[in-house]
Amino acid sequence: MAKQPKLEYHQIEVGYEFPPTSYKLDASMVSTYLKAVEETSRLYQDTELVPPMAIAAYAMAALSQGISLPPGTIHVNQELEFLNTVSVRDTITCQAKVSRKQNRGRLHLMTIDLDVFNQNQKKVLAGKVGFVLPEYDEDNGR
Amino acid sequence: METSLRLPLSELNEGMSLPEIKKSVIQENINLYAEASQDFNPIHIDEDFAKKTPLGGTIAHGMLILAYVSQMMTAAFGRSWLAGGKLNVRFRNPARPGDTITVSGKILKVEKGEGQTFINCDVLCRNQNGESVITGEANLRVKQ
Repeated sequence: MAKQPKLEYHQIEVGYEFPPTSYKLDASMVSTYLKAVEETSRLYQDTELVPPMAIAAYAMAALSQGISLPPGTIHVNQELEFLNTVSVRDTITCQAKVSRKQNRGRLHLMTIDLDVFNQNQKKVLAGKVGFVLPEYDEDNGR
Repeated sequence: METSLRLPLSELNEGMSLPEIKKSVIQENINLYAEASQDFNPIHIDEDFAKKTPLGGTIAHGMLILAYVSQMMTAAFGRSWLAGGKLNVRFRNPARPGDTITVSGKILKVEKGEGQTFINCDVLCRNQNGESVITGEANLRVKQ
């Protein structure tokens, strides 16, 4: 996972595309996820399938490398579409783009579109994540 | 290998409830989820920090609780959910360590098209006090 400089809300404009982030999946990564969510379905034990919400978690991880969300940020809504199955041997590439920014009173709303592709450039997941961020304090830079 | 629908298409009816699941929210799992998602926001993992915030304690990642919804859909629809599922939800209230989350859903619509069936469900996660944690809908496209 390559380190990227993190941007803050006020530095990002609508249309901004975060640098893509790739992950070579492995059994250990998926195992951590399965333990975290207490997923016991045989679907994932007898096969190399990866739960689609694990891919969503990795997409969020990729996003977190590109943006610094201030304390008080609330994840308010989420859309996800699972388009193709993912194997534990796959390499996925996560892309994110700011699709909406809106100020509502002292709060800021931001929507980021997510797309995840496998090593064959086949889209496996699409989604949108919505955040509400607290007021940006220009004097204190937060 | 579980590759087919757990609920046969022919038996799906509008108004049918999906099999509920219950999950206990524990800090250990929140910490593991932080590792999996690389989301180390202290509101999730630092009890001392979280106690000083208006939330008064740590909360689970919304996506961790949403994963339970996906588990319910996987339990109901098997592999079809993994490549054909769609979620659209709002996070209503935080889930905290010690909470018990009940995930439920109901089939609202079943539409048969050419070679595939579309299924529309509402989904709900509520805590032990009956408060909504996640509300929304789940859609599924099943190839016949």
